Amino acid sequence: MDSNMAFDALADPVRRDILGILAAEEECSVGAIAERITSVGRTAVSTHLKVLRVAGLVSERRDGRFRYYSIDPSGSARDVLTLLHQVFRSGLRSVGDAVPRAVEHERPA
Amino acid sequence: MSVLTLTAQEEVPAPPHVVFGLFGAGAGAGWVFDALCDRVVPGAAVTLRAPLDPDGALVEIVGRIGTVRTGRMIEIVHDQPWRGRTVLRFAAHGTGTRVRLQSELDQPGFEWLMRRRGHVLRTAAHENTTIGLLTSKSGPGNLFAAASDNMATLALEEINADGGLRGRPVELVVGDDATDPATGAREARRLAAAGCRTILVATTSATFVAVSAAMADSGVLLVQTLMNEGGMSGGLRVQLGERPAEQLAAAAMPMMRAAGGRRWFLAGNDYCWPRATHAAARDVLPRLGGTLVGERLAPLGTTEFAAVVEAVERSGADIVLSTFVGADAATFQRQCHERGLHHRCLTLAPAMDESTLARIGAEATAGLHTVSGYVESLETERNSTLLQRYRERFGRWAPPLSTLSESVYEGVRMWFAAALRAGSDDPRAVAGAMHDARFEMPRGTVTLDANGVVGQRIHVAEAVGTDLRVVTSL
Repeated sequence: MDSNMAFDALADPVRRDILGILAAEEECSVGAIAERITSVGRTAVSTHLKVLRVAGLVSERRDGRFRYYSIDPSGSARDVLTLLHQVFRSGLRSVGDAVPRAVEHERPA
Repeated sequence: MSVLTLTAQEEVPAPPHVVFGLFGAGAGAGWVFDALCDRVVPGAAVTLRAPLDPDGALVEIVGRIGTVRTGRMIEIVHDQPWRGRTVLRFAAHGTGTRVRLQSELDQPGFEWLMRRRGHVLRTAAHENTTIGLLTSKSGPGNLFAAASDNMATLALEEINADGGLRGRPVELVVGDDATDPATGAREARRLAAAGCRTILVATTSATFVAVSAAMADSGVLLVQTLMNEGGMSGGLRVQLGERPAEQLAAAAMPMMRAAGGRRWFLAGNDYCWPRATHAAARDVLPRLGGTLVGERLAPLGTTEFAAVVEAVERSGADIVLSTFVGADAATFQRQCHERGLHHRCLTLAPAMDESTLARIGAEATAGLHTVSGYVESLETERNSTLLQRYRERFGRWAPPLSTLSESVYEGVRMWFAAALRAGSDDPRAVAGAMHDARFEMPRGTVTLDANGVVGQRIHVAEAVGTDLRVVTSL
């Protein structure tokens, strides 16, 4: 893949937000993405999605008149971004396990 | 510079101050909260061990604690393997806590991670002159190399702000040897394929030797910027930095005076630079009245040094010559301190640097000395300008400079001065122009004679907390 094109596509804060949403979800409709992006309107979100698609960062699936987006499943970007996301999530998931022991040896906060 | 922010969130059944207190406590709270961190205060060294490799192996994310709001927020500012901030926020949620993590990934980090995961990235063609930096962004060398990338970036930004080379900017491509010679050789080939005709190598000598062999017929100029055992200069190979014999000659008498004894124990990692330094010690120290009472070598990446520390104790040494590097040097020093070795002897560690000292922690550096051409606290006008620019550009929590990382700044500056002098960036022309030359650098005047022998002032310095203070200069 062309990492320069990918990162040019990431240069925009709205596109980074979109990717951040998609990194956490399997697939999102344009409407669902637009609901969570409050800084620009739905038309702008569509335009940003096109840039991300051309850069090979997201893939598009059409179902009737709806379009769904996900991080490109064949792409390196998906592997890296979903990996990082999973690694951070799994890192936090064990915090709760340590709580009983922590309460026993509670450090001054 | 565009940056992507990844977020993750978790609800924990305990109040915020309890969850906050788990950070750095080693309580089995997952890799994020089990960060290695002596104290959760601004400026404290912190290492997160993230399962990022395809086989689940741990990759160290190395940095410092930035802002702390007790019970509410911890900011980690990291430099390795990429620069960015990871912020943990704690908010009351019912009777528990909602922990929210935000972590930044910049373009170099994105590319590093893709390569690390085995993806092949297209090599972009560079229109401008491109210089390579081979450094250690991962593996035990990640500590001493923490500021190397920043140093190359700063030097090139200065050069480009002044008009670059023949009015064109000079570009930088960075490779990571993962503190492994074979990986270093692969990365050097990648840098050459990206158009680098000169590669600065700021890794262990073991990697420099492997890269030099791999690039034998490439026509690429290799400049080893940091301290090394020498022996490979000539043609398209330039070795800057300090040499073991000159370092030992400078430090031997001051160390023996300070220790009140003459018995030396040699301990270090098992590769070419420590072995060459020990060979120099066997030659230099007896001539200056020292006696050798023992030697131990351990492979790079060792984490348990009890046997070495016991051997030092049994030997009755007055001074340990420690040639451990990077993470090994930090671990060895901490284990020596735990055993109280600093009450019995002093340590001379030629490759000890300020960012490794930060990892050791202020208490455990007692008795530690270095000998080098540069320390961050060096009082020269050029060094104070460098430090000011460095802090302005990379922030107050960027890793400290050291003779190992600052040598990268000087390597870029010398390459550029030589390219101007030669009127070309042709590798042979640049190599020629680097010889028989004199450079005014942050560490002072550095000379290279016709045979590539480096001349510079050498300083013996003592660790005071996590800083190095010069005690004798030669």
